[in-house]
Amino acid sequence: MSQKKQVKNKSGYIMLGIVGLLYIILYSFNAQKTEAAVFASLEVLKMIAPILLVVFFLMALFNTFIDEKNIAKHLGEESGLKGWLIALVGGILSHGPGYIWYPMLQQLREKGALDGLVIAFIYARAIKLPWLPLMISYFGISFTIVLSFYIILGAFAQGVIINRLKNI
Amino acid sequence: MTKILQRIKITSLNTLKSLQAIAPMLLAVIGTVGLFKTFITPQMIHSLFDGNIIHDMFLGVSAGAVSVGQPFLSYIIGGELLKEGISLYAVTAFILSFVTLGVIQLPLEFSIFGARFTIMRNLLSLIFAFMVSLASVYTLAAIKGYMS
Repeated sequence: MSQKKQVKNKSGYIMLGIVGLLYIILYSFNAQKTEAAVFASLEVLKMIAPILLVVFFLMALFNTFIDEKNIAKHLGEESGLKGWLIALVGGILSHGPGYIWYPMLQQLREKGALDGLVIAFIYARAIKLPWLPLMISYFGISFTIVLSFYIILGAFAQGVIINRLKNI
Repeated sequence: MTKILQRIKITSLNTLKSLQAIAPMLLAVIGTVGLFKTFITPQMIHSLFDGNIIHDMFLGVSAGAVSVGQPFLSYIIGGELLKEGISLYAVTAFILSFVTLGVIQLPLEFSIFGARFTIMRNLLSLIFAFMVSLASVYTLAAIKGYMS
C-alpha cells in the first residue's frame, strides 16, 4: 500500500476517534440527547446500508466488465454529448447520500472519466426525483420546474468549467 | 468462463478492500450526522434570519451546508421558513446547499477525491447556490409577471 493511501486510511481512524471522543464528552453533559444521537446514527446506517451494497456491487461489476478503454470512450475526452447525458441523467437517477457514491466516482476518474462529468453527476444529484412531489406541494410546480432546469444547467456549466480549468 | 469467475473473485476482493478502507471515515460521518440531527434543531436555524436578502441568502447557504439528513427535510424546513416570511432567495439557497454542499462529509470527500477536486467542487457548488437561487427566483417573478 502506498504511503498516500496509508495516510488516507489513518485520517479515517483519526476522524472516527474524534467523533467517538465527542460522543463521550457530550454524554457527560446530556446523556439522553447523546443516546438519541446514537440511535439517529444507527437509523442513518440502516437507511444507507442497502444503497451502499448496491453501490459496491456496481463497483465490482464495473471493475469486472468495464475496462479503462470503455470508460474513456463513454466518459472520457472523446465522450461528447453522450458523456454529458450519462453524467446528468445518472446523477438525477442516483439514490442515497452523495458520499456513498464517491468511491465509485473516484474509481471512474482513475479509469479515465473526465472530472467535469463527475462534477456534473454530483451536482445533478440535487434533483431528487422521488421527493419532487413533496417539493411541488410546498413550493408549487413552477418553482420545481424552474429550479430543476437551473440545476441541470448549473451541473453542465460546472462540468464545462472544470474541464476547461484542467486544460489550463 | 473460469477466466471471468477468476476476474469476478479478484474484483470483488478489491471492492471489499475499498469498503474496508473507507469504513472508518464513513462511520465517522454517520456518527456526526446523528449528532447534528439531535443537537441542531430547525428552530435554531430559523432564529438566525433577519430579512435582508443578501444576509439571508448567505445564512441559507451556510445553514444548508452544515445541515444533514434526507433531502425532504430541506423542503419541509424551507417550506416552513417561507411561511414564516423568509425570502424565497434564502430558502432556495438553503435547499440547494443542503443537497450540494456538505461540511460534515468534507473529510471523507478529501480522503477519496483529494484536495484539488474537493476544493473545486465545493467552491463551484457554493457559487452556484447563489447563482441558481437568484436565477430561479428572477425567472419565477418574470413568469408570474408575464402571466398576470
